[in-house]
Amino acid sequence: MENLLTYSGIRNESIEQWKREGKKTVGTICCHVPGELLHAAGLLPVRLRGTGCTDDSEGEVWMSSFACSFARSCFEFLLNGTYDYLDGIVSSDGCSMATRIYDNYKYYKRNEDSTRFYLKDIGAPRLYNGKHAVPYYISELNELKKGVENHFGVTITEEKLKHSIEVFNETRSLIRELYELRMSDEPVITGEESLKITLASMTMPKEEFNRMFRDYLTELKTRKPLAGYRARLMLIGSAIDDPEYIKVIEDRGGLIVCDATCYGNRQLWEPVAYEGDAISSIANSYLSRTVCPRMCQVSTHNSLYEMIVGMVKDYKVDGIIYTKMKNCQVWGSENLYCEEDLKAANIPLLIVEREEIMTNAGQLAVRAEAFIEMVEKGDK
Amino acid sequence: MSEQFDLIKYLNDSVDSLLDYMKKKSPERLWMFEVQKSQWGDIYNAHRDGKKLIYVGACVPPELIFAFDCVPCLLDAIPTRLASQPELSSKYIDFAEQFVPSTMCAIDKVDVGTVFSGDMVEKPDAFIYTSYPCDNSRAIYPAIEKKLGVPTFVIDAPFRKDDRGYRYLADQYKDLVVFLEELTGKKLDWDRFEEVMDISNKTNILMDKVSTLRKRVPCPLPSRLLVLNELQLQMIGHPGLLKFFENQYEVGMSNIENGIGAVPDEKYRVTWLQNMLWSNAGIMDWMEKKYGAVLIMDAFGYQKAPLFEDPKDRERVFMDCGRKALASPMIHGASGPAEIYLDLVDQVMDEYSINVAMFVGHVGCKHTWASAKMVKDTIAEKYDLPTLTMDIDACDARYKSTEEIREIISEYMESVVGAKALN
Repeated sequence: MENLLTYSGIRNESIEQWKREGKKTVGTICCHVPGELLHAAGLLPVRLRGTGCTDDSEGEVWMSSFACSFARSCFEFLLNGTYDYLDGIVSSDGCSMATRIYDNYKYYKRNEDSTRFYLKDIGAPRLYNGKHAVPYYISELNELKKGVENHFGVTITEEKLKHSIEVFNETRSLIRELYELRMSDEPVITGEESLKITLASMTMPKEEFNRMFRDYLTELKTRKPLAGYRARLMLIGSAIDDPEYIKVIEDRGGLIVCDATCYGNRQLWEPVAYEGDAISSIANSYLSRTVCPRMCQVSTHNSLYEMIVGMVKDYKVDGIIYTKMKNCQVWGSENLYCEEDLKAANIPLLIVEREEIMTNAGQLAVRAEAFIEMVEKGDK
Repeated sequence: MSEQFDLIKYLNDSVDSLLDYMKKKSPERLWMFEVQKSQWGDIYNAHRDGKKLIYVGACVPPELIFAFDCVPCLLDAIPTRLASQPELSSKYIDFAEQFVPSTMCAIDKVDVGTVFSGDMVEKPDAFIYTSYPCDNSRAIYPAIEKKLGVPTFVIDAPFRKDDRGYRYLADQYKDLVVFLEELTGKKLDWDRFEEVMDISNKTNILMDKVSTLRKRVPCPLPSRLLVLNELQLQMIGHPGLLKFFENQYEVGMSNIENGIGAVPDEKYRVTWLQNMLWSNAGIMDWMEKKYGAVLIMDAFGYQKAPLFEDPKDRERVFMDCGRKALASPMIHGASGPAEIYLDLVDQVMDEYSINVAMFVGHVGCKHTWASAKMVKDTIAEKYDLPTLTMDIDACDARYKSTEEIREIISEYMESVVGAKALN
């Protein structure tokens, strides 16, 4: 039953098995690249991350010390062979740093045979459901579809896409079940474990993940409730793809019961509603989901803030830990929008800066412990 | 209780003082200051003249704002203007750092500081911003929107600079017209718009001619004019900017006819490959005097703006607005895929006979720093030139002192380029 957690790694047995079967994998950057479209082409989409990176020096050579360390770590892994199983990369302009992972890698491979590695970047609008944004995004996705078909010699039919949407929606539904378990007064799963599961969902073949995860959920429901934690916490902020980071907080007695992060719940919840045709359905869905502060209109359509506050209530959160990746501008300024409101709503908030490489675990532990103590005492 | 400092009044008064001074001391250079009077004077006097004042971000067509007889105030022009006055820029940067990370671009920190401090005394009538040029502006514009609480229109700039992107912008610009019509209570007067487009086209043609003059060896125009050329972001379509480029072209032509270069003996033709060093523009004068090194062109200031091809074709005009927006300084290189930035650098290197390349990198511009190796490798491979890499803060002079900057450049010029100091 514990097997599922072992599939959370960037390299894992399910990917190796996939490759042994002669099938192709494509890395994706940011959450506006629809995995459904790649899945429908018979490809395994693997969301790029830098989990466990301990040395991003080559990434820094390319991207400089002014780049965010998440992006540098992802790029480091592309260069050092960690992702040598990839047959292509599809990127969306989630943020400027994400874009540069792609740009640098494309440049790095500029003298190689382009037929051997698929590279494509798509534009993802920054307006929720904008009347011009959706058609623009649909055009980008159709171009991606054609590109994938041409490069990999496959045909992505409407039926295949519809099936892929169903498979991905099942994953989303299962993740929602997981989060509902975390909502309980007596949770049975840690935040660390939960993150490993969502990471596995972005790294494994979806059908295999769904099958294993169904069993896992059944087992979870029979578990004894967790004991010994001192505060129910929520995690928000820049990309958090490292279960070790959460473990540091949980080791100090804070149980992460929910999150609003892009490797956690955010991209997994909302199903794609099939209406009309698959590409339009995907575009409409992806552009209506609440994502990170990359989107404009934050002050007038702050669904992210509303989601955070809603989750605080639903998950009976005692305090929020807001982690900002150093040099992450989109999340770095989010407190302009929500810090004041969260304080007004009497929700304790701890703001911590982090780097992808876990060099500040000690400091995080001390700050987390102090915050948990404060929350425990009921100080705001 | 101390009186609220009125920043725009201060900028307007400062230009007035400079104009008075230049009239007496150097009337032949008055045109360089008159354009700044047009810029700040119009903003300061907007409400006094019965016009709507509109704060704008990048990629908002000034021509459209002028066509409605409104006054655009490009927020990002304020930090670049204040950069040479550390006592003011640092005040706003420090103020902003209460709310935003210190790693944020100082341009955006000054934007936040000026608005949140209340020093932008006159409330605008509207705010129009886009998702360009970068993550920093995307992060703070919505906060400024919230702070201002005025009617706001948001434009999403496309990722790529292609027909699909131009169309995406064109469609949004048409919606912007509706917004402006509601704001002003007036329908768009296409005849007036055509007049503005005509001024815009004439200015862009002159800008191109001025840029062509800079290709001459020796370069007939000084480094510093590149700073003022950036005014096109806010003022394209304004008669004051047209006059500025007419004067600049005239001076350039006159210098060529008289065999005068920007420096008496041009030794090196320099390009800066990222932002302009607004916080220490005097470095350009120093490079000219010390090494005969003239900043011929900078990558973000590089200008080759498309024209309004047919001002009467109402469909085409909005597409052209999109083309022009995505080709405007900084936007053309800093935003979107890095390939476009690399092409731009290649064009600058090739067209301007550059023999000294410097990546004078503004620390806040992280995504261009994340392209730095590609830029330098491109130059090394194609032009066999080693590029100086230097981190600076384009708007916060406290980041690196003049002496430090001079030392770094001197070391590079003398040990790598092999230059000898002229004095």
